[in-house]
This record gives sequence, structure tokens and C-alpha cells, in this order.
Amino acid sequence: MENLHYAYVLIFIAICAVGVNFGFKLHFSKKLKLFLLTDSLILVIYLIWDFWAVSKGSWFFDSNQILGIMLLGKLPIEEVLFFIIVPMMTVLTYLALTKLTGWGRENEEMK
Amino acid sequence: MIYSDVALSAVCLAVVLDLFLLKSRMMTRGIFWLTYFLILPFQLLTNWWLTSNKIVMYTDTEIIGQRLAGAPIEDLLFGFSMILLTISAWEFFKDRLNKNKISL
Repeated sequence: MENLHYAYVLIFIAICAVGVNFGFKLHFSKKLKLFLLTDSLILVIYLIWDFWAVSKGSWFFDSNQILGIMLLGKLPIEEVLFFIIVPMMTVLTYLALTKLTGWGRENEEMK
Repeated sequence: MIYSDVALSAVCLAVVLDLFLLKSRMMTRGIFWLTYFLILPFQLLTNWWLTSNKIVMYTDTEIIGQRLAGAPIEDLLFGFSMILLTISAWEFFKDRLNKNKISL
């Protein structure tokens, strides 16, 4: 189970994401196109950075604590999933707080 | 260019994109800061898990050495840049999609 250590982080965030989505009735599944556009920007920027940093050795991973599936032979698949799941959780948090507080951009602009 | 330099550059890039290029101006809105400060403790929690178990390790010469919750302090800059850019891009693309709908 040691090779799931990094994956636990992703599973934990994914569980939070599902809980927030249904708990706040955010209908994220209807916003997948928008999320895909948003995350494509994030993926391009942060995967290039990550790949470059791993190549020069800024940071590195314990091969026993990751699944072992590597992108371009260097980046653990967990890193790619991180840059999908974390932005998803960020958006869900933002949507939930917007709903909760009524501080959304639309509300401000309607004033 | 060590991690510290790149992390600082990432914050600058995110701020410039938010204020001047995407023009979502999320930094000027309370909802963004509320979202950021709610996510921050969770970032520290995952950072602690990833670094205390040595799942991710950093080369000493790539960081200034100050650490928070086990992770290099630079991680705060990385996290801030990604959260700002995510919400800024979300609002930017949302406006774009809405405009397309109206023009159809």
C-alpha cells in the first residue's frame, strides 16, 4: 500500500470535491466544458514548470510511494492528476462560497 | 533560476494575467480572498503529508530553506499563483462562453 501514499492526497481531495459538489448542489457536471478550458491553461503552465523542475532536480519523488506510472519518463501520473483535481476543488470551493455569501461577481455587477 | 525565483515569477504572472490580460480582477474581490484563505490550511495539510513522509523531496540549493508545515515556504507562492490563476481563468472563460451564447 506504500505506493498509494501520494495517491491518498488525491483521493482525499476528490472525496471533498464530491461532498462539496453535492452538498452545495453546484451541478459541476454541467460546467465541465468551462472547467476543461480553465484547467487546460493550468495544465500547460504548471506541467511545463513541473517537468522543468524535475529535470533540473529542484524536487524529486520517492519511487516507493508513487504508483510508478510516469509521464515522459519523469513526471509521476499523480502530478498530472494533482493539476486536475486541485483546480477542480478550487473552483468548487469558490462556487460554494459564492453561493453561501452571495458575494459573486454577478451580484456585484447587478448593483 | 531556483524554485524561489520561479515561484515568485509565477505569482507575478498570475497577478498580471488576473488584472491586465484576463481582466477578471479577482484579486480586488473579497470572494477570492475568502476562497484562498479557506484553501490555505488544506494546502498546508497536504504539504505536511507529502513532505513529512518524504514522498516529495527538495534539493537544498533550490530553496531558501525556510519551511512551513514541512514544505518549502516557496510552496505558498506556488499555491497562491495556482489558486488565483484557476479562479481568474474560470471567470474569464465563463464570460467568453456566455458571450458566445448571446451572439448565437
